[in-house]
Parts: sequence; C-alpha cells; structure tokens
Amino acid sequence: MKKSLMLILPLILVTTAAAGELELGSAIPLGDVKMTDVSGRKVSLNDAMGKNGLLVIFSCNTCPWVDAWEDRYIVISQKYQKKDVGMIAINPNAASRGNGDGLTDMQKRAKEAGYTFHYTVDEGSQLASAFGATRTPHIYLFSKEGKLIYRGAIDDNARKARKVKKPYLINAIDAMIEGKPVSVTSTKALGCGIKFAAKE
Amino acid sequence: MRPRAFALAAALLLISCSQSAVDLQDAAAGDILKTAAAHQGQEAVLINFWATWCVPCVEEFPMIVELAEEYQDNELKVYFVSVDWLDERQKAVDFLEQHGVRGVSFIKNQGDDEFIDGISREWTGAVPFTIVFGKESGKVVDLWEAKKQRPKFEQAIEKAIKEEGKT
Repeated sequence: MKKSLMLILPLILVTTAAAGELELGSAIPLGDVKMTDVSGRKVSLNDAMGKNGLLVIFSCNTCPWVDAWEDRYIVISQKYQKKDVGMIAINPNAASRGNGDGLTDMQKRAKEAGYTFHYTVDEGSQLASAFGATRTPHIYLFSKEGKLIYRGAIDDNARKARKVKKPYLINAIDAMIEGKPVSVTSTKALGCGIKFAAKE
Repeated sequence: MRPRAFALAAALLLISCSQSAVDLQDAAAGDILKTAAAHQGQEAVLINFWATWCVPCVEEFPMIVELAEEYQDNELKVYFVSVDWLDERQKAVDFLEQHGVRGVSFIKNQGDDEFIDGISREWTGAVPFTIVFGKESGKVVDLWEAKKQRPKFEQAIEKAIKEEGKT
C-alpha cells in the first residue's frame, strides 16, 4: 500500500504543476465561448481565428504595463492582420468591472487607442482561468492548426519600443507564417495580476 | 554670508538625507536571493515585490509593514523589492518613506525574464508577489501572487519560523 502511494504521489505532484499555465501544443481552450466585444457583437476565439493563426492577448484598461506595451499592440495588428493572423484582446478583470474595466471603459479605450482588433469581456475570468493566464498583458499565440506555439511576453522592453532587443512575439509570428519552428516558445514578463472574481 | 547660508543649507540637507533612512538599492535577482540567504539560521525572510502604481500592491503594503514591525524582534526580516521603472525610483523612495520603511529595500535593475525566473521558476511575473524563506533551512516555504489578507501572511510567517514546510 505504501509502495503504491509512493508511486502515485509524484504523478499527483506533476499533474498539479502542469495545471498552471496552458502547455505548449495545447488546443485553444473554450474556443466556442462567445464574449461581448467592444463592437457590441458576440465573438469567440474560433470566430477570431485567422487563416494563419490567432494571437490572444489578455489585457485590460487599468494596468501601467498594458499602457507601456500598447503601442506594440497597434504595430502588430497593422502588420499581421493583413497577413491573415487573427487578433483578439480579452479583458479578464472580473473583479474590477465597476472600476475601469467595464465594457463602456473598454469601448472608450479601444476607440482612443485605435484598436482594429477584437477587445472582449471575459465573464467571470473563465478564459483566463482556462488558459492559466495570470497577468496583463499575457500573450498566447496559436498556429493555424489551433495549437499553442508561443506564450509569455511581447518583447523585452515594455517602456521603449525602439530599445527592444528581443522581439519575442514578432519573431514567433514571423516563424509561424513562414512555417518554421518558433525558436523561443515561452518567456516571462512583469505584469498586473489579473483581478479574478474574489474567492479568498 | 551667502557662502555660510549655502553651507548651512547643505548641512541641513545632509542631516535630512541621513534621517530619511531609506536605502533603495538597485538589484538583480541574485543580489536579492543572496541577501535573503544571509539570514539563514537567524531569521525567516519575507520578500514582497511591489510597484507604486500597482493598486493591489499599494493596498496590502501597510499591512506588511505592520507585520514587519510586529515580528522584528521575533525572527522575521522583511524586504521590499520595487519593480517600478528605474527612472521613477524617487517615487518608490517617497512611498517607502511615507510608509515608515527603514533600511535596505531594493529596486529591480534586470530584464524581466531573467529577473522573474531568477527569483523563482514558480513566479509567472504577476505582481504583487510574495516569497517566504524558512529560518533554519533558508529554503522557500511559501510564495504567492496577488494581494492576500493578513492571515495568509501570518500563516506563512509562522511556518517559516517553525519550518513546517510549504503551505
């Protein structure tokens, strides 16, 4: 009995560790779930998918790291939507809808910043939970086959686009479009913790 | 007269600087872990990563300062690590002063990816972030992202002092 427990325990620990962030190679989670977009329409991740892949950004209205990186959102959308890469920003901050992260606030921000991509409300942070997303911005890139091929940061310099040395996301998208393997598949960056619905 | 007034002003400035007692040091992950390790066998260590413009960080900050004061003679050392932009370090200094934090604190001076993994592979990069090291072992006994209430901190601190293992 003790021996069997000793065999099972490591498996449990591995499973627990893997239950965090979405694993590379995973399919798009909750791809059919419809979310309210700033346009007023209902949009799912499957709807947002482009012929060459899908870029998902967990983002929000109330985070200085989003403010710092947002110029890159625009550059990337302008360059890659033309190349049939779908793009969607998702606001998972369920606990701050009345404090800057509501739909009206999102519509205002999308208009002012010139978003040409979807910006949707993640009700109850259900997509963020399914992805294991923890912060904004938090990036997930899916291939045209719908498999996760990159996750993490946009690049290595939030504040100064012209000082970026490692454009992780752009490199990954370029490789994806060219049908090449992505060289750096997972990175980390500081970001605002997602404001999940209170459970403590 | 003017040179004398200048000297007096300079002296007053020096005195005021020495009284502020906030020593905000630039640090990479390795520097911070080295500092924590130096307490092994003497005190448990709690390190909180925060930023002046991070609302949940600012909300939980006074409670952590209170805990630091309550435990200071009782086997706990608390460090604060600011992840503010380096060119806004004065805001961090001002904030620390306003909250009565004395002595050494840190401000991140390393790229995110290296810094985050350098502190802990289990940290995804979200702030606030708190990590607690055991008194005897110097090993991580608990860590968490997001703002938490006082009982969570107390539980982790007690475990770190008594070394009951990770929660």
